[in-house]
Amino acid sequence: MPGVEEYVRLAQERGGKWVAHGDTVHLVVDPSDLRPIADKIFNEYGASFRTCVGTDERPLNNHFSITHLFTDDRSGLYIALKSYLDPENPVAPSIADVVPAADWCELEAWDMLGIRFEGRRLERLVLPYWWPEGVHPLRKEFDYKSRPDVSLARSERVALRKEVGTVPLGPYHPALHEPEYFELYVKGERVVDVRYRGFHVHRGIEKLAESRMNYQQVNFLAERICGICGFEHSTCYALAVEKAAGVDVPERAQFIRSIVLEVERLHSHLLLLGVAFHLLGYDAGFMHMWRVRERTMVLAEMLTGSRKTYGINLVGGVRRDINEEKKSKVLSELGGLVKDFKRVVEIAVSAPNVKRRLTGTGILPKEDARRLGVEGPVARASGIDKDARRDLPYAAYKYASFRVPVYTEGDNMARVLVRVEEVFESVSIIEQLLDKLPKGPIMAEKVEIPPGRVGVQVVEAPRGGDIHYVLTGDGRPYRWRVRAPTYANIPALKVMLRDQRLADAPITIASIDPCFSCTDRVVVVRDDGVVERLEVGASW
Amino acid sequence: MSESVKRSIWVYHLNTGGCNACDIEVLDALTPWFDAERFGVKLVPSPRQADVILLTGPVTIEALPKVVNAIEAMPRPRYIIALGSCGVGGGIWHDTYSTIGGVRELLKVLEARGVKVDGVYYVPGCPVRPESILYAVALFKGLVEKKVKSEVAYSE
Repeated sequence: MPGVEEYVRLAQERGGKWVAHGDTVHLVVDPSDLRPIADKIFNEYGASFRTCVGTDERPLNNHFSITHLFTDDRSGLYIALKSYLDPENPVAPSIADVVPAADWCELEAWDMLGIRFEGRRLERLVLPYWWPEGVHPLRKEFDYKSRPDVSLARSERVALRKEVGTVPLGPYHPALHEPEYFELYVKGERVVDVRYRGFHVHRGIEKLAESRMNYQQVNFLAERICGICGFEHSTCYALAVEKAAGVDVPERAQFIRSIVLEVERLHSHLLLLGVAFHLLGYDAGFMHMWRVRERTMVLAEMLTGSRKTYGINLVGGVRRDINEEKKSKVLSELGGLVKDFKRVVEIAVSAPNVKRRLTGTGILPKEDARRLGVEGPVARASGIDKDARRDLPYAAYKYASFRVPVYTEGDNMARVLVRVEEVFESVSIIEQLLDKLPKGPIMAEKVEIPPGRVGVQVVEAPRGGDIHYVLTGDGRPYRWRVRAPTYANIPALKVMLRDQRLADAPITIASIDPCFSCTDRVVVVRDDGVVERLEVGASW
Repeated sequence: MSESVKRSIWVYHLNTGGCNACDIEVLDALTPWFDAERFGVKLVPSPRQADVILLTGPVTIEALPKVVNAIEAMPRPRYIIALGSCGVGGGIWHDTYSTIGGVRELLKVLEARGVKVDGVYYVPGCPVRPESILYAVALFKGLVEKKVKSEVAYSE
């Protein structure tokens, strides 16, 4: 099991610099060393690749930079591998061939910052295809308010492929409740290839935080990244800033965060289970699941005052306490929830139509899952035992004991069952934490955030690991990078959908519990060069 | 209130780039606890069958052409119920580079493209509560009174 020394040695051998600070190892190396070191960390040491972050540091030190973020889940370490790039012509070597999970984030860095990657094809990922050339929103000289001329806006049209049938799915489609576009190529009933064009929900969150917000306001902005797992994002941001600034957060606040995080996991899992049954044509299961889910909304409202977008996180603590009365109400509500849920789910997953359509469809083999760096229940259903709550403990999870369900089948059924088991685990975590809730303040007395510090944090959202990277600046984050779990899971759909029946496509897409609003803050999709673009601009 | 849509309202849910919170509350309003179906509200899979569009999100520039297409595909009379802070006025993203800023800006684009909209209802909230979605539907059907009595002045 590699420890801090092994990672430090990687930089030392090649004459790089390093700093080990808390649980994070920062390595600064020459751009030409990025690829071999990333290869070693990912393929030899078996660390998870989380994301890469491009930063425009020209106002600070006259350089661009690229940082690859890894986590070593066995030793609980964060590894930030950084390189400074030329300010005029930022070029970095691509690591996507040795770390396939880095494919999207490199394209994103190209789109948003204009960093070129050598040794790969570069294309638009996040910004619309009609976005003006050479304008990169995350460069510091770009004003967050400058809008392109929307009269230029056109839909992208894609050429149909002759040898196979094409089934467009989206961007507005009854099986999807968010705008995203899938193109399924079929031969008869079988799907032979998939193309995804998302990023319809790119709202410019990172730029907004870097130009208009202050540290505390970003918590509320982070919550609006996603309406389903928003609290994970705001907790992740707050923890990252606290780690960077060394803020001492009271235990009680950490317990409250963990409790609310688990409430959010409950509501998210129940939501997905309901939607999955709906897509299988089992609407009774859908309606009952959502009836049960309503109890979690009552819980959330009781604990935070709001059904969604709770708004209780701040850097340094939380804004709302849990008193004895709430405690007993939460416990009795949880009891009712477990009883209801057990009854509904036992009937639902043993219904013959549900069982047959889930079992053996949408298989993701373990090796593909590791290579693509999938997260959360998708990884755990494919036999990868990883859960940030246990591996990289944050908030108050070290005080709770829980099991991480792992299945090896990798099919849609396994992904559903992982979530079913996690519901019971979450209920047990909430009960344990409420029981152990320590006394004390809920907000740190002093929150001072010096500029130039880096904080990286992973939080296990219902869909997998969220990662936030914060480089502190003057009064607001200088650079804030968010990577949501769906971002890592979507590329795996190509593997899951291939050679499946067309009718199973919607449930397979839903089985990763895609959350496009999280993913799309950033940008684009690759199509493996199989799709030629038609003359665009003809239609709205 | 609408004279032309007197009976069951068929709604089409159009997410123009929102964060999902309003969208799950829309679904929530249709499931047993809130049960919007008792007012005859039915979610339909295509804008061509819809009486009303439930619009959420700040209208991102990527989604804009597709949103215009969807609204254009709707038969007249066209009604839009804009849900949530984002749908109503762009929310916190009202001035960022990649959104156009809510339904008011969208109406300008629609007008420029010659797409007529017969009425817009605004339901604020971040996110909207299912109760307020039900209230909007009831208002649309003429079952309840409008809460804001005078015209709201917008600062441009």
